[in-house]
Amino acid sequence: MSTITAFPGWLAHWRQRLWRLAPDDRDPVVLRHSRIYILPTRRGLALMATLVIMLLASMNYALSLGFALSFVCAGMVAAALLATFRNLAGVAASPLVAGEAFSGGQLDFTLSLASGGRARTGIEVAPRDGPPVRVDLPAGATRPLRLAVAARRRGRQPLGRVTLASDFPLGLWRGWAYVHFPLTGSVYPVPEASPPPLPPGHLGSDARRAALAADAELAGLRDYQRGDAQNRIAWKAVARGAGWYTKLFDGAGGSGAVDLDWFELPQGLDEEQRLSRLAAWILAAERETRAFSLRLPGAELAQGQGAGHRRAALIALALHPNTGSA
Amino acid sequence: MTRSAHPRLNLAQTRWLAALLLCAQFPLWASVHAWVAVAGTGLVFLRLLPPLQRLGRSRLRGLLLPALAIVAALAIRAQFGYFLARDPCVDFLYLLVGIKFLEARTTRDGSLLVCLALFLAVTQFFYAQSVFAALIALPVVVTLGATLACLRSGAQASWRVELRQPVLLILQGVPLALMLFVLFPRLAGPLWGTPSDAGARTGLSERMAPGSISELSLSDAVAFRVAFVGPPPSPRDRYWRGPVLARFDGREWSALSRLKTGNLARREGPPIDYTVTLEPHGKLWLFALEHAVGLPHPASEDAALSGPVGDIAFLTYDQQLLARNVVTQSVQYAQRSALRARVPPVVGDASDNLRLPANNQRTAVFAHELRARVDSDRAYIDAVLGWFRSDPFVYTLTPPLLDRDPVDAFLFDTRRGFCEHYAGAFVVLLRAAGIPARVVTGYQGGEMSLDGDYMIVRQSDAHAWAEALLDGQWQRFDPTGAVAPSRVERGLGAALPAGEPVPYLARVEMTWLKSLRLHWDALNYQWQRGVVGFNTQRQRDLLRELGLDNARPVQLAVALACVALAWSLLVLGFSRVRGARVDPELALWSRVCRRLARAGLVRRPDEGPLDFSERAATRWPQWSTAIRDVGALYARLRYGPERGQRAALLAQLRSSVDALPGARRLRAQS
Repeated sequence: MSTITAFPGWLAHWRQRLWRLAPDDRDPVVLRHSRIYILPTRRGLALMATLVIMLLASMNYALSLGFALSFVCAGMVAAALLATFRNLAGVAASPLVAGEAFSGGQLDFTLSLASGGRARTGIEVAPRDGPPVRVDLPAGATRPLRLAVAARRRGRQPLGRVTLASDFPLGLWRGWAYVHFPLTGSVYPVPEASPPPLPPGHLGSDARRAALAADAELAGLRDYQRGDAQNRIAWKAVARGAGWYTKLFDGAGGSGAVDLDWFELPQGLDEEQRLSRLAAWILAAERETRAFSLRLPGAELAQGQGAGHRRAALIALALHPNTGSA
Repeated sequence: MTRSAHPRLNLAQTRWLAALLLCAQFPLWASVHAWVAVAGTGLVFLRLLPPLQRLGRSRLRGLLLPALAIVAALAIRAQFGYFLARDPCVDFLYLLVGIKFLEARTTRDGSLLVCLALFLAVTQFFYAQSVFAALIALPVVVTLGATLACLRSGAQASWRVELRQPVLLILQGVPLALMLFVLFPRLAGPLWGTPSDAGARTGLSERMAPGSISELSLSDAVAFRVAFVGPPPSPRDRYWRGPVLARFDGREWSALSRLKTGNLARREGPPIDYTVTLEPHGKLWLFALEHAVGLPHPASEDAALSGPVGDIAFLTYDQQLLARNVVTQSVQYAQRSALRARVPPVVGDASDNLRLPANNQRTAVFAHELRARVDSDRAYIDAVLGWFRSDPFVYTLTPPLLDRDPVDAFLFDTRRGFCEHYAGAFVVLLRAAGIPARVVTGYQGGEMSLDGDYMIVRQSDAHAWAEALLDGQWQRFDPTGAVAPSRVERGLGAALPAGEPVPYLARVEMTWLKSLRLHWDALNYQWQRGVVGFNTQRQRDLLRELGLDNARPVQLAVALACVALAWSLLVLGFSRVRGARVDPELALWSRVCRRLARAGLVRRPDEGPLDFSERAATRWPQWSTAIRDVGALYARLRYGPERGQRAALLAQLRSSVDALPGARRLRAQS
């Protein structure tokens, strides 16, 4: 961004217009002539060179039909250029969801692609560091499109500039357009591979077994809400067709609850190692269906449970400012 | 970039490539050597056999292409005796596409093959540019498009689906192709070297040995066509003068290697004006009716094209018209001739045209004896012609072979010959008697087209006659006319005895076939004039008709760019109209939404048709029924299960939409 602002205004404007370096696209972006670039592919260049040679031979030997053949082929090449443009023009892209992933995993972003009034063939959507996705759209269709990007570093990771390209219909021209949405995913720290067991809960480690047993005692049901853990869903009720309920356990969040505290971790761990261990513990607590609270320097999460709580905790880890201190 | 980075060719792509190669090879079958045709096409079929589809994996692959290519090059070199010329290269390319196809593995090889095949397709026009040649090239363009589409997609769709898109693209490109064909600058001459190898064409040559013209007489090919301003001359006067042969080595006649300019004949009768469209023959000479009394000039009045009028050709001392450049493309020139004209000799004519080699002594003795018996040169010539007429000379296309003293043998032993025998022997007889004489070759005759617009002169009209310097001017004598008068009056077919291998079109009978061929020739004539013969000159004429003759190249380029822009807008607009077909209920619904938006009520993105129409109905209570109907009908059509009642529901929706007032009225009422 700073490199852009270093240029005078009009230059920055044109750099942005040509290369879409900054994420300034509001949804949805409809591809028009001002965004679509078209250049010949290698195959297209080879074919054009052949046409030029044919033309030279026709000139030298005064072959009128040679001219005719070359020009009919040239007409087809030119019509293919327009078809390539037409295949991209009018496609509308809008951002849907930015994903979350552990560092080193794959971060999913979802875009929505609408074909407008015309069927689209072989549109290749490629993020900057991820495999391209090919999609065909029938006329009037809107499709979600998942782009997988390598999750590199803990923290916020923007999707960056996405290239929509197509060499339809003859592979002689490649048309492409850049869209740059302000979509930002979260990258969690890598969970430690073999973490030490969870810190003791409020009732002490001796009481853990008893607490787990107590957990098994069903206290009641409440209406299912999105984000409730799968192992808490009253599947029997679902199977009966009685509806979706979540099981409430007596003492859940009480007896087995753990406090995951940054400041109680051993002194020898550096910042990232601490975050890794906390992440691993969050997963472990969730696996054992134990409530947990989280305390970080500058952030605190009250005791809670469930997918939503887990996500909030992991995001807190992801967004932990990198101070470089232990 | 490594090879493995390119995707493998799949079966569909291989098949399309094979189709493209076969389409490109097919028109050349008659032009390349038979073994090349068989081998090149065989290689393509070989690749399609199941065992060879997996050849790509074998280790031999890397060596296959160079090895086979070298073998092919050596074989072609052995066949022709040389390699770096047009025909061997075409043969080599024909084989090369087969060899390359045999080892093709990736789509990149496919791209290369497409380019090679396309270039191979253009080489067929070296050999023929007829209507057939054009038609036979069409499949190449179509398969080219389909092959490219398949190389891109790799889809295994049916061939009909694969063809639809390319055919559409080709049709869209035709206007652009037409414009380029008409406006692309044409060259008056070749770019490099001289395409002298462009002319193993049939036609007269600068040498005449016994048998050379009779061989030509077997060809139906058109030599040139003539459009007369007035009535055409009678058949017996249709002598089209070509190369003049004055040197005799005892067996073969050839031209003197002197290119002095001569003087035009002096006209002594009414002039005849006409335009000749000459087929390319790879030589310098232009043909004119005897005797030319003016120099040829371009058929168009555009003097700027080729310098001062008359500069496209000059007249040699022996009354030949020679073009400034080799006639490698069809030329059209206007010419003036007169049937009666005085052709005076130039200095040296008398001595040049009396030389005889030492052989053919019997003829010399005979000539001396005959000349001694008469008292004038003219009487001697009459006597010789009378001898030809009275003695049993036979006019035939298949004379016996003559060896050491061909004139002696012909005049006194075999007495069977074609026009070159008679003309040659006649000139020898005259020279032996001290009369300067020379052989003139060219065409005699010509057939009017069906509608009488033009005259066709074919190779089978090739003829040789004689010219003698008598009474201070050159005069024409045709000894063939003495032997077979009907040759001059009615053409070759009438003059030859039955059973001779006369070309079909030279025969007098065969009327229906002849009329069919004349129709065909009329089509070909237009094709030759309008398409094949579309050269610099024709282009200038057309530009002048369009009012663009004074345009500078920059202006032309701008005009071209404008037309190209108009074309692309047209193609894009056309496809917009076609592509924007949406469901009718959706179109109606969006029309209503746009109208309500203009009236101030914008549908929220999350608002369904029922909610939105309810909101609109409360805002405009006076039209609430129509508005609610529109919303409900649209929702039923779009999301409801009624498939059978679509038409009725659509009609209802349409009438409800029509019942709604316009945006301005809605705005006024809200």
